[in-house]
Amino acid sequence: MEVIESFENNLNLKCKLQVLSRADGSAMFSEGQTVVLSAIYGPVEVKMQKLLIEKASVESVFKPKSGLPGVSDRYKEYLIKNICETALASALYPRTAVLVNLQEMQNQGQLISCAINAVCLACLDSGIDMKFLFGAVSYFLTKEEELTLTPPINESSVKAMFVFVFNNTKGDVIASHTEGRFSIDQYKTALDICRDEVKKVFIFFKETLLDT
Amino acid sequence: MPVDHKRINGPEESVPYELFARLSGLTSEKAFEQLYKAGKRSDGREFEEHRKIFLKNGAVSQAKGSAYIEMGQTKVIVSVFDPREIPNRSDYSLKGELYCEFKFAPFSCAKRRLHQQDNEEKQYSCIMKKALESAVCLHELPNFQVDIYALVMHNDGSALSAAITAAGVALVEAGVPMYDIITSVTVGIQQGVKLVDPDSLEEQMCQVQFLSEKYQDNNHGLLIISKLHTQEQLCQFYQNGYVSLEVLKSGLEVLSKTCEVIVPLVQKCLIKHITNGIKS
Amino acid sequence: MAEQYKSLHPAKYYRDHLKHDIRPDGRELSDFRPVVINVGSIKTADGSSIVKIGNTTVVCGIKAEISRPKADAATKGFLVPNVELSPVCSSKFKPGPPSDQAQVLTQIIADIVGNSQCINLEELCIFPDKIAWCLYADLICIDYDGSLIDACALALISCLKVVSLPEVSYDPSLDKQQVNLEKRTPINVNSVFVSTTFAIFDDKLILADPTVEEENLCTGTLTIVTCNDELCYVHKPGGSPLVDEQMSDCIEKCMNRSNSIKKLIKTAILENI
Repeated sequence: MEVIESFENNLNLKCKLQVLSRADGSAMFSEGQTVVLSAIYGPVEVKMQKLLIEKASVESVFKPKSGLPGVSDRYKEYLIKNICETALASALYPRTAVLVNLQEMQNQGQLISCAINAVCLACLDSGIDMKFLFGAVSYFLTKEEELTLTPPINESSVKAMFVFVFNNTKGDVIASHTEGRFSIDQYKTALDICRDEVKKVFIFFKETLLDT
Repeated sequence: MPVDHKRINGPEESVPYELFARLSGLTSEKAFEQLYKAGKRSDGREFEEHRKIFLKNGAVSQAKGSAYIEMGQTKVIVSVFDPREIPNRSDYSLKGELYCEFKFAPFSCAKRRLHQQDNEEKQYSCIMKKALESAVCLHELPNFQVDIYALVMHNDGSALSAAITAAGVALVEAGVPMYDIITSVTVGIQQGVKLVDPDSLEEQMCQVQFLSEKYQDNNHGLLIISKLHTQEQLCQFYQNGYVSLEVLKSGLEVLSKTCEVIVPLVQKCLIKHITNGIKS
Repeated sequence: MAEQYKSLHPAKYYRDHLKHDIRPDGRELSDFRPVVINVGSIKTADGSSIVKIGNTTVVCGIKAEISRPKADAATKGFLVPNVELSPVCSSKFKPGPPSDQAQVLTQIIADIVGNSQCINLEELCIFPDKIAWCLYADLICIDYDGSLIDACALALISCLKVVSLPEVSYDPSLDKQQVNLEKRTPINVNSVFVSTTFAIFDDKLILADPTVEEENLCTGTLTIVTCNDELCYVHKPGGSPLVDEQMSDCIEKCMNRSNSIKKLIKTAILENI
């Protein structure tokens, strides 16, 4: 187990900001072999139905690599929308909308965490006011009860997967998503490791912004 | 079947397993013969006897008015919501409108129903709307629409009648002004035999024409009426199949009589609702 | 007076109650609402259940049909769960295609079923690559008063427990199948999952089993699903951040509750037989 830990300390993050010229903020983010493109538009005019008097309404659209979006993509949209609602200082933009668009480019298992990180970078790129940054980390539990950061190549050897989203202020959990079955201790261990790991994500965010 | 992107889809094709079962050999004609010989129905009822009814208002906490009705195995739930402005309408209408939706749950019938409203459900929604329109004081709700939703959880015949009777109770609970108590009854006709409040097998039996020589009378079909109690007026009538004028006349008499049998039940339910309201 | 206060300042109304560690419906913060389970009342379905958690009511009906396994999973049957927020249950929902909320709920329920591995799909296969069972599980909400994931999960698992399928004999040489309606056998349910929802109020108070009013006012929710002695779903879709102690506390409560709910399912099924 230790060998894996030290060997795969690197999350292998890559990012390119301002990849789309028309969007207010955009980012192409990759985590290992998983790549997601995100774009933020906002604050923009809002549809009457979705208008909120005291804050901005967030809408998110997730487009899969191929085919039409289905029920599982709706779930990702819901997760991202909720995270953005918590993180964005939406009270500063009443009666407006913030649109978050995501396009899956390549998926090697860390799609959700990659998408969330891409959204955070796109938000930073657009310059929209935020209460705090958010970073996501995926963690995998293999059939051999080993915990690993990189997704196993063979999908069938994954017993469980965790995605945690933390804020950068106190390191508290904003969002959690899991797949598969696991014990309480495994969940807690994964949570602790991810909390350490997410610091690297935030450092990476900082470096990316400094570079541009 | 086109892929529905808003639901989880199963395999492209699936068929009910009943198709591969050994046939029971009980055709509608044989079933009728048994019924006729016994002089009683399979559940022990007389031909013109209604099933026991369980009626309860206030079944849905989030609705303004709601009712749950059980007639034998048939289980229907009806919700009525606050009047709201008629959507997508620019001109002012002096009269209010009703919006009815009648839906069978996917698992409520012998054959699985689809999620989208099919033609039968649309027709039933329409009949329900027509029936209830004449019981509600629409002129007191200008430019407003009252939404009425009925969901059949288990269909064992006469589901539409059950829905209309329950909708009447739900409307009262919602405080919608009404002229009268509305009740509805179904009768199945086959060979001059009138089966009040048919279950799903009897409904099936009444909707086919018997071809064998034995049966000369080709009267068959379903009659559904809704009646306003104190006005003694029919507010809706629906018939399918072939029914001669004489049979129709006697059928209506039977229906009208049975409606009167249900009224005390509805009244009791409403009185209970009001006394409970006063107590609390 | 209380009524007017509640409708004018709903959040303040709640805060005033919660200050005294009590909720407007008389529960303490970590109290759950009473649960009622009824199984097998809908005879047209191959298995059915009705679950009430407080006012929240969900009906689940499973209908089995025969189909062909997918080419890439020749030895597997199907379990297709769908949640419907019918317009009957609340004025929030209008007729038409499923709302976003219904779709998200459908996905969550499908995830829970998949994660828990309560049904071995291979057991639903009758003959590899030829015929397999397809179980359509339709969950319909008829009263929406919060904690819907809990109600749907409970309805689905109790429904799966009472599903019985007729015997099918398949002759591969003739490609003919024969169904024996007389002989029905229940399906194997390997594990029982129990879901528990919590609402986070004003970033610090945790309310167990929230009603719809509480869900609307709260700043975040947390749903934990246990499966036997393990966890199979920890779902927190954004909202107020939680510290680890609160999280562990919720998990513990959820574990305790799951035992009583499991007993309840058992008694409900015994009563039915």
